[in-house]
Amino acid sequence: MRKILITYFFVIVTLLCACNNDGSKESGLALVKTTNPAPLSLEKSTKKELDLIGAIEQDVESFKELYDVSVLKGKEDILVAYKVRHMQRFHMKKIEKKIKKLLEDKYSQENFIVSSDYKIFLEAVKLEEKLKDPTYSTEKAEKRLQEIIKLKKELT
Amino acid sequence: MGGKTKEQKQYQSLEQKHEVKRPVLKNCIKAFFVGGLFCIVGQAITYFYIYFFNFTEQTAGNPTVATMVFISMLLTGFGVYDHIGQFAGAGSAVPVTGFGNAVISAAIEHRTEGFVLGVGGNMFKLAGSVILFGVFSAFVVALIKVLLIKWGVI
Repeated sequence: MRKILITYFFVIVTLLCACNNDGSKESGLALVKTTNPAPLSLEKSTKKELDLIGAIEQDVESFKELYDVSVLKGKEDILVAYKVRHMQRFHMKKIEKKIKKLLEDKYSQENFIVSSDYKIFLEAVKLEEKLKDPTYSTEKAEKRLQEIIKLKKELT
Repeated sequence: MGGKTKEQKQYQSLEQKHEVKRPVLKNCIKAFFVGGLFCIVGQAITYFYIYFFNFTEQTAGNPTVATMVFISMLLTGFGVYDHIGQFAGAGSAVPVTGFGNAVISAAIEHRTEGFVLGVGGNMFKLAGSVILFGVFSAFVVALIKVLLIKWGVI
């Protein structure tokens, strides 16, 4: 009986591992190691835009409680996702509030979505990877970004 | 307690002489590590849901709890969880997996009494209090939170 159970267990584990093939290179490890994704704009990449999102990334990275910042600029919203250092995770809510306040004071005309959730970070990195493909259209990317934002706002 | 009679005191000292000393510290350490092991599994399942499904860290908790309870129900049915419980004690009863164990072990125990009066009536004998007090304390906490928000404290 026990032997059968153990065999079943290993078979299931092997089968589940086989499902792991579709994950692409960078984003597959985004939860485990530091990826440091570059800030990106879904729309036009003019110098002004790049400077703006670069500055935002710098500002957020200056917090020493966190690492690995991803900034994605859509048509209207800017998604800022980051990972909080393990010992600071108790203060996650406070840190989020602090960052949001800083960003909204400094860049008052932009609309920010700030998140420390792993899932949001993972999706942001995935989207950035998709954007590297030139055939991936801006509308699709914007739609995906809105989906991520909706996911962030979900609470239950 | 009041006063104990002489015989009672005598019996107590006799009892203490023969009673096996419980290895409390050892039990605590065992419970700690086994309970921690369950939590590692739970964390792995959380990441599984975050990674492969549309769950965020905020929302992945619910399916994780459901999965853990389901796994412990299966293990109880196969008779594995009893051994874990014997070894780890509170380490296997306090996490949410203990809830699944309580439900299924009661169901198995009363299976011979039929489905309606046996399984159905006794399934939540122990787990019922978990649900009752869980729901009630959640209600109280939510009430306090609503009031505090209304008064503008938080």
